[in-house]
Amino acid sequence: MKLRVQLQCKNLHEYLKELSPEILDRLYNHPATCLAVYRELPSLAKNYVMRMLFLDQPLPQAAVALWVKKDSQKDHDECVSVLAGLRLWHSQQLQGGLQGYILNPVFKDNLRTALLGGGRAWADEGSTLGPDRHARDIESLDRYAMERWEIILQFMVGSPSAVSQDLAQLLVQAGLMKSEAGEAPYITSAGFQFLLLDTASQLWYFTLQYLKTAQSRGMDLVEILSFLFQLSFSSLGRDYSVEGMSESLLTFLQHLREFGLVFQRKRKSRRYYPTRLAITLAAGVASSSSSSNLASSPGTGDAGFIVVETNYRIYAYTNSELQIALVALFSEMLYRFPNVVVAQLTRESVQQAIANGITAQQVLLHWAHLHTKNSTPVLPPTITDQIRLWELERDRLQFTEGVLYNQFLSQADFEVLRDRAQGLGCLVWQDVAHRVMVVTPQGHSEVKRFWKRQRSHT
Amino acid sequence: MASEDEINLLVIVVDVNPIWWGQQAQRDPQFTLSKCMDAVMVMGNAHMAMARTNKLAVIASHCQGSHFLYPSKSWSGEDGGGNDVSSSGDGKYELLSAANNLIVEEIRNIMSKIEVTGNSTDTLLAGSLAKALCYIHRLTKELEVGQEIKSRILVVKAAEDCALQYMNFMNVIFAAQKQDCLQNPATTDSQAQKEETETTNVMGDFFVFVFLY
Repeated sequence: MKLRVQLQCKNLHEYLKELSPEILDRLYNHPATCLAVYRELPSLAKNYVMRMLFLDQPLPQAAVALWVKKDSQKDHDECVSVLAGLRLWHSQQLQGGLQGYILNPVFKDNLRTALLGGGRAWADEGSTLGPDRHARDIESLDRYAMERWEIILQFMVGSPSAVSQDLAQLLVQAGLMKSEAGEAPYITSAGFQFLLLDTASQLWYFTLQYLKTAQSRGMDLVEILSFLFQLSFSSLGRDYSVEGMSESLLTFLQHLREFGLVFQRKRKSRRYYPTRLAITLAAGVASSSSSSNLASSPGTGDAGFIVVETNYRIYAYTNSELQIALVALFSEMLYRFPNVVVAQLTRESVQQAIANGITAQQVLLHWAHLHTKNSTPVLPPTITDQIRLWELERDRLQFTEGVLYNQFLSQADFEVLRDRAQGLGCLVWQDVAHRVMVVTPQGHSEVKRFWKRQRSHT
Repeated sequence: MASEDEINLLVIVVDVNPIWWGQQAQRDPQFTLSKCMDAVMVMGNAHMAMARTNKLAVIASHCQGSHFLYPSKSWSGEDGGGNDVSSSGDGKYELLSAANNLIVEEIRNIMSKIEVTGNSTDTLLAGSLAKALCYIHRLTKELEVGQEIKSRILVVKAAEDCALQYMNFMNVIFAAQKQDCLQNPATTDSQAQKEETETTNVMGDFFVFVFLY
């Protein structure tokens, strides 16, 4: 039985915790990163950081502990661990010998710069280049972004679309697609789960995978991350210049252009426009209200919508190939019209989707996204329950490996051995009437030895 | 999932009574209106930096009325306001520096346009508070389905109270209370303030008053 690989969408903090301390300290040198990290903190931690932002001396731990009431001690401890894990504050010895907390000075300075001003500009503004003759407005930027992102998703589903070698390589490395030697890559179960996520999570997962491979390409992780955060804080509709960007950053910009995160008219063009996708990126896994336009439908030009009926029929009013392919993942297509696709949810189709690694939860969440534009989500409870039941059907049986002991000559032998196995904790199953028992493979050698000793005694 | 976030709105009402500030400049040249505005802007920046969905509004209250410093009527909105608003030349977050520049410009406009006649020298604070409440009400109506808004008013009060304003003031405070928003003023050591804060002291935190004298 194939084990299901669950797609994990780490958020920013977990990713940062994995980085080494030196990289983290270098990373905090940029105000954009500090602001991004600050925004992702739990709100109690945000308050702590804000309180300590303008202090230069360490605060005693006892004082910090007094900031919360007794019954919120758990939240306080959680915050302390989060802040320490991200190296945002250090413990320092105070004069009286008590332990105190002080904010990481690099982080503190840069967050202050982000709030108050001063310091280096984040990026050179496009004002040095003068107004853009080929300026793009926001709708065309949005369209461009969704187009590019959809091309990537379509490539994953298997429709023919042109993606660069680099991108295909990245998808394979991310585990979303697999490629046999010489053949075109095809999608894996992780890839299926990826398709059903909402756009913000998809973006984030993709970026994380890219960052993981960045070091192997010879790019500086800190530089790329800082640029990414800077991008996510830029305003939509403004152009920025590429002055002062290093080689690796320019390569990164070209990759971003392919993903649809920035728009650049030509490869050599000296200004670029961040798109809505880039700005959503900093929202991380938890999407914010600014992404409500994206969450309506991952990758349709027109906002299609889906109606799920209680007779297990699905009517998808959409033209987008991607949406249709997604619906086809877990239902059987019945009819296709120019603006409607009719499909039927059957036990076989859902179970096949589940065999591919999609969970019922993901499917239901995917539909819930498509309904956010309307006031109330209309997924009939019968359908949601039934999908969950079909998923559970696959879990009815659980397989455990074991070694079978049978054909005992007497009841006493059986009982002795069974007690021994139980004492060792490796007895999986027994049937006293037939004198049969099953032992785990690990315990098998021990039980066998015991039995041999037993036999040699009697 | 998109509309789950809670919007936090902070409305700052700043008392810019020119007479009081002029006298203040003579009393203590260190603490001027521009310093006060700087501090207010830092407070606003800190609030906006906390979360993406936080909103800010700043109202200036003077003897002839009250005026929205931010968001101002001439401002086009969050996207594409790039032409007039100069970008930050330094490390400040772009959105914050745009907001700050706007506030500075607006207050400059106001101070140059005010003409103080002899009669009205008191700050019309109750009017500004009423404007703040109306703004909050309007934003509450404009929400999408499923979004919630939490709002607070921070009042930076400079000039002394005016007895004529008392009724209006109390009306505004009771109106805020009726909207199920509760108030708690921050006190100073002046006797007059003590009495006033006792009358408005209920519980919770909707209004926060900062008295500068």
